[in-house]
Amino acid sequence: MKKNFITCFFITTALIGSIITAHAQSLDRIIKDKKIRITAEVTSPPFGILDKSGQPDGSEIATARQLAKDLGVELELVQVTGAQRIPALLAGRADVAISSLSITIDRAKTVMFANPHGALSVIVTAPQNIKISTASDLSGKRVGITRGTLEEATLPKIAPKDAQLVMFDDIASTIQALLSGQVDCASFSSFAAKSVADRNPDKKLENKFTVATAYYAVAVKPGDFDLLQFLNTWVWLRTSDGTLGKIYEEHTGVKLIDLPKF
Amino acid sequence: MNYVFQFGTVLDHAPLLLYGAWSTIWMTAFGTVGGLFIAIFCVFLGATGSKSVRLLVESYVEIIRNTPFLVQLFVLYFSLPALGIRLNADQAAVIGLSVSFGGYATEILRSGIEAVSRGQIEAGRSLGLHRIMIFRHIVMPQAIKIIYPALSSQITILLLGSSVVSAISATELTAISNSLQSQTFRSFEFYFVAAGMYLIMSALLKLFLNTFYWLYFIRGRNN
Repeated sequence: MKKNFITCFFITTALIGSIITAHAQSLDRIIKDKKIRITAEVTSPPFGILDKSGQPDGSEIATARQLAKDLGVELELVQVTGAQRIPALLAGRADVAISSLSITIDRAKTVMFANPHGALSVIVTAPQNIKISTASDLSGKRVGITRGTLEEATLPKIAPKDAQLVMFDDIASTIQALLSGQVDCASFSSFAAKSVADRNPDKKLENKFTVATAYYAVAVKPGDFDLLQFLNTWVWLRTSDGTLGKIYEEHTGVKLIDLPKF
Repeated sequence: MNYVFQFGTVLDHAPLLLYGAWSTIWMTAFGTVGGLFIAIFCVFLGATGSKSVRLLVESYVEIIRNTPFLVQLFVLYFSLPALGIRLNADQAAVIGLSVSFGGYATEILRSGIEAVSRGQIEAGRSLGLHRIMIFRHIVMPQAIKIIYPALSSQITILLLGSSVVSAISATELTAISNSLQSQTFRSFEFYFVAAGMYLIMSALLKLFLNTFYWLYFIRGRNN
């Protein structure tokens, strides 16, 4: 009886102790372990792609590599799909999410955003012969959307009730659906749409209208204030000296606009 | 742990989740029935057909069993339109499930049929029954009784494997819980509840199959 009590007591203390130490500040832990885990969404051109040799590349991956280099730690890329970016962060599989996470109010409720380091716009694209010029023209059409993206957060709000929204797990499937005609039109970031149109000139895809524009930023788990402060400082430093602007322009072909700070 | 569980969000979306569960159930039902039709047909051809027919059936089974189900779905949904056949997501899902289940069920039924002793078939022939009647009244009932456990576990695998069809945008439980978690950011709550719902459906399926077995094979018999 007494032996059981003592065992229980030690186990409880160990558990409580581990919970308390789990609050050890993330930035210190990353520097101590010499490793940072960053989410990598590789099916989101041009932010995250797989290059010819199957290695992750893209503007956000390059940004992640820059962050790891500046921290002086090893980078571990945690591959995720669009819908898994925030869950991976919240579950602790990644320390930082650098995967073109656009700043929206709903997301801001669950993660902490750093100051933005890029901007994107989300558009609806379709073959030339399909006439769409505003959201109301989506009536009765099948619209392909990827789960967990800005287009999923914004398009359903402005689409007419009888537009059929078809949800896919990743951008590659949505692209396939558009190219094979399984959906009449699809919504992507303007960069992704451009890359799809360029690679498939016979489909004559063109941007129909812009759904939303947003700034995207690095995100961390709620409570990681030290990491957040470091990231804000880092984004400011690297934007001022042009490093992040250069990465952005290199991969998107567009000059980086003036970014707000909060 | 800092995380605050919010199962209330899941409760708010309960009707949608129940709709997803219902979709899963009818997709499984259609897949099973369709697959069984395919399997019985294939097994009959395999048992009584010519060599080339048997080869055709064997290649169908081997292709189904040696390719991933997800890839089969992608071919049905994304590749067929290039040949002019456009299936919508639900059609592709049910066809994919039937074809896939048919492949596995053919193998299972075939092993059951081989287990029925030849004496039974000879006795049937000596009674003057022709091929189809022997198959239908003598061989199949005995074969099904023998392979019933294997077949029921394959049906359970079909129920759980139906979650894969979410990748081609068919709306069922996994697709709906995936969409809900990406909109509300409550991934633990939604996935946990979805897993629980699959567990319940699987248990109910097992109950159903066991009851069916008892009703058909055990009740009212002396052996």
